[in-house]
Amino acid sequence: MPNRKYKDLWLGTALLMLAMTAPLYVNDYYQSFLLQVFMMIALGQAWNLISGMTGYVSFGHTAFFGVGAYAGALLLLAGFPWWLAVLKGGGIALLLAIPLGLLTLRLRGPYFAIAMLGLNEVGRIAATLWTDLTHGGDGISLAPDLLPSLRTNYFSMLTLATTATLIVAYVYRSRFGLELRAIREDEEAAEMVGVNTVANKVMAFVLSALIPGAVGAVYAMYTSYINPQSVFSPALNIQIIVIVLFGGSGTVWGPLIGAGVVMVLRELLWAQFPAAHLALLGVLLLAVVLYLPGGLLSFVRARPQGRADSQVRKTP
Amino acid sequence: MKHRSWLSGLLPAVLTLGFFSFSVSANDVVVGTSVALTGKYARTGQDQLNGFNMWVEEVNARGGLLGSKVRLVHYDDESKPETGVKLYEKLITDDKVDLLIGPYSSAVTIATSTVAEKYHFPMVSSGASDSNIWTRGYKNIFGLYTPANTYMDQILTYAKAKGLKRVALIYENTDFPRDVANGVKAKVKALKMNLVFEEEYGKASTDFSSMIIKMKSRKPDVVIGGSYLPDSTAFMRQAKENRFYAKMFAFAVGPGLPDFGQNLGLDAEGVMGNTQWESTLNIPGAKEFSARYTKKYGAEPGYHAAGGYGTGQVLEAAVKKAGSLDKDRLRQALLELDITTTFGRYKVDSTGQQIGKPGYTIQWINGVRQMILPESAATAKPVYPFKDWAKR
Amino acid sequence: MELLDPIILLQLLIDGLLAGALYALLACGLNLVFGVMRVINLAHAELMLVGAFAAYLLYHYLGWHPLWSLLLVVPMVFVLGFYLERVLIECVVGRPLLTSLLATYGLSIILLNLGLLAFTSEYKSVPELQGALVMGEFAISKPRAAAAIVSVLLTAAVFLFLDRTRLGKAIRAVSEHAQVAAICGIDVRMIRMLTFGLSAAMAAAAGVMLTMIYSFSPESGADFIQKCFAIIIIGGMGNFAGAFYGSLLLGVVEAYVGGFASSQWAEAVAYLLLVAVLLIRPSGLKGVAYAKPQV
Repeated sequence: MPNRKYKDLWLGTALLMLAMTAPLYVNDYYQSFLLQVFMMIALGQAWNLISGMTGYVSFGHTAFFGVGAYAGALLLLAGFPWWLAVLKGGGIALLLAIPLGLLTLRLRGPYFAIAMLGLNEVGRIAATLWTDLTHGGDGISLAPDLLPSLRTNYFSMLTLATTATLIVAYVYRSRFGLELRAIREDEEAAEMVGVNTVANKVMAFVLSALIPGAVGAVYAMYTSYINPQSVFSPALNIQIIVIVLFGGSGTVWGPLIGAGVVMVLRELLWAQFPAAHLALLGVLLLAVVLYLPGGLLSFVRARPQGRADSQVRKTP
Repeated sequence: MKHRSWLSGLLPAVLTLGFFSFSVSANDVVVGTSVALTGKYARTGQDQLNGFNMWVEEVNARGGLLGSKVRLVHYDDESKPETGVKLYEKLITDDKVDLLIGPYSSAVTIATSTVAEKYHFPMVSSGASDSNIWTRGYKNIFGLYTPANTYMDQILTYAKAKGLKRVALIYENTDFPRDVANGVKAKVKALKMNLVFEEEYGKASTDFSSMIIKMKSRKPDVVIGGSYLPDSTAFMRQAKENRFYAKMFAFAVGPGLPDFGQNLGLDAEGVMGNTQWESTLNIPGAKEFSARYTKKYGAEPGYHAAGGYGTGQVLEAAVKKAGSLDKDRLRQALLELDITTTFGRYKVDSTGQQIGKPGYTIQWINGVRQMILPESAATAKPVYPFKDWAKR
Repeated sequence: MELLDPIILLQLLIDGLLAGALYALLACGLNLVFGVMRVINLAHAELMLVGAFAAYLLYHYLGWHPLWSLLLVVPMVFVLGFYLERVLIECVVGRPLLTSLLATYGLSIILLNLGLLAFTSEYKSVPELQGALVMGEFAISKPRAAAAIVSVLLTAAVFLFLDRTRLGKAIRAVSEHAQVAAICGIDVRMIRMLTFGLSAAMAAAAGVMLTMIYSFSPESGADFIQKCFAIIIIGGMGNFAGAFYGSLLLGVVEAYVGGFASSQWAEAVAYLLLVAVLLIRPSGLKGVAYAKPQV
């Protein structure tokens, strides 16, 4: 539908313009806030790519985020310029994703989810025990003179968020995306029709790992301190899942909307009520799963969107 | 479309809320800090907060600072360094505080001091002692506590004097305990004692049984733990469960708190530990402070509370010396200050690390925490050796 | 090397078996729910903590010894589980497994944070049954032994219930083929509610006992649920006896790893095993990991 497409393009460009000029009239604190929104958008879109479009719901995508964060921090400490550290952070995550993807994507539905959950924990344990490399439980604290400025981090994150969204948008309208959605609806049928499910799945998985890796590196430089618990974080996991499911998984606008709403909610609550805000996320997750599987977007557009959990066998 | 109007309604709402978050009188002197109110270090974090609050009350009764009322803004960092970092960013860039006090625990302090350094904002640390905090070349972090790597020196010297040789060392895998451990290892080497066991454990560990079984086989004379309250308590409990005996047990943080005796009862008897301060010390104002604190909070102050109060006093003295809230002058004042607060002497070296205040050793004797070392400040003689489990 | 001393090896074995027995109580309950309803309950460990905190409260405010609390807490959580199933889980039964995973994930987050709001993340414990029974060279921890005894008794009781009683057989019928069981006149929904209640009750019993062994906080659930998954996936999902023996095995492996390497490695065992099995030998689970969800 050409109309829809142009509307989307206009809206997207407008938002992008807004985001790019924001540092001119918004103070440091709100820039930080926006940076975090961009981060969630980027992470959400990446998750969307594997979980939303392919139907392989990952409960542990923060594993790649964590790897990227540590890679970025360590490279920065080793003297690499920050942008190289970010690229390499993404690269390392990507390299890890290839063998991991081949191994985990053999598993169906919930087992894949649990395996990813386990992988996240393994990442955390590796970071904790491999003290020679990662300083273990102490974490890594980056000195201020090594760090890029807030504005630089802001634009890095914005770039990552935009890239992620564009990738998802492109994939959505491409044959690749069609094949992914076919896998989501019925993998065996897709195989029979000639879709190379393994290659497609792994491609999506690897792409979905690249972004969090880079985002993790930027995050480390933004926050100046990381440790195993903070980057291999189950709380971050659930935020990503809620954001995408809430907004509408398998779509391009879903993570954008979800990130906006959830982050605003978070901002109102996190400093004063840390436990309440996470409980609220749990409630949101439940509500979405039970009553609104297509997320907000399906509510708004009244068009059947894909469900994240469509790995279904219709016959027992 | 529905979602667009929705969003466009939310953004102004958020901005207005944010605007309101720093209303109230702009003339107050605002002190910002994050405290461990939940999480592993909650118990000690709360004590520290009590100390701060008491100081704020009393300084306002004296007329405030520079003629303005003092107001404390604090958040809960959940004993997590990553949360602390976000909170200090908020305190500095959003709440725009005038003065900064550090959080509890070396781990959270190491992380948050980077934020303070980034904004060239001097921060006085009330609850951190890891010497590594001050080896990074930062100019904006000032400490009150005696450094961690000296914590066990007195205990080890005492053990050596009693002819003991075999030392077992365990510690949590975060900054402060590591620093304590490094100090122990150096001292053991210097005293020519024998480190027969060393193991690190995770922050969330509460199960030490396998570790204790291993330790038992090495037959140590002295067991030293670089620990906080929950782990030292759990360890002693499980030591009893496994009938693990040594002539001396000592922990960094834990025995210095009344909770230790409350939670372990008879099993705390004979355990040694560190303290940065006791009300029995011969410091002007200490006893009066203790009395006032007990009246206000219904319990005697531990050293964390005294440290909190002392930090307020240091800030007060620094502001008076600088004559303003200007960051550069404050920094200079904090560097040059040499005073005695109810917490003890405050004097820092060029990196901001505390060099004027000594550390002390306590031991649980007959259900009461007594200071045993150094002898000049002792309220009781050390009880040695540790009583066997079967005989309690 | 002193560690190869048979006494130490045996001591570690004892400790491991005792810990494993407690895991068994937890894992068998989780397994039961999966077998009957094909639902993976990620909130299982939080239900255990409900039992733990209930015992803590009863101890703190009424002075009740946890062994007495068992009598109150276990039935109470059974009822809680019974109705929770009706209200929440029924909505996801029959939907793809992933839905139940997400829904119970949400539930576990809610319970965890409600627990944090109510109790903060300070560690709590109940100092009863402390110390050890000394038998020659061996020290047998009293609270762990008590927990093991309670676990074994309860697990055995549940097993016999499933095996011998009519209701138990009905439950097994539903887990084999729900549609046929319905046709035979079994009230499948009631069975599901009962099973969930039973599983929750078992978890709560484990929770009550662990108050005397470990220090716990609302955040302690994560470790336990991972152990359960490792146990169940290795032992075979839906296989009751497999879950029991798998638990003992995990307990012993953890004890030995803790003894020979370090306690940090011991904590990693469950996660590493889980991931290793899933990634490397999923076919060794008799195609379970490729399970086609049944309605």
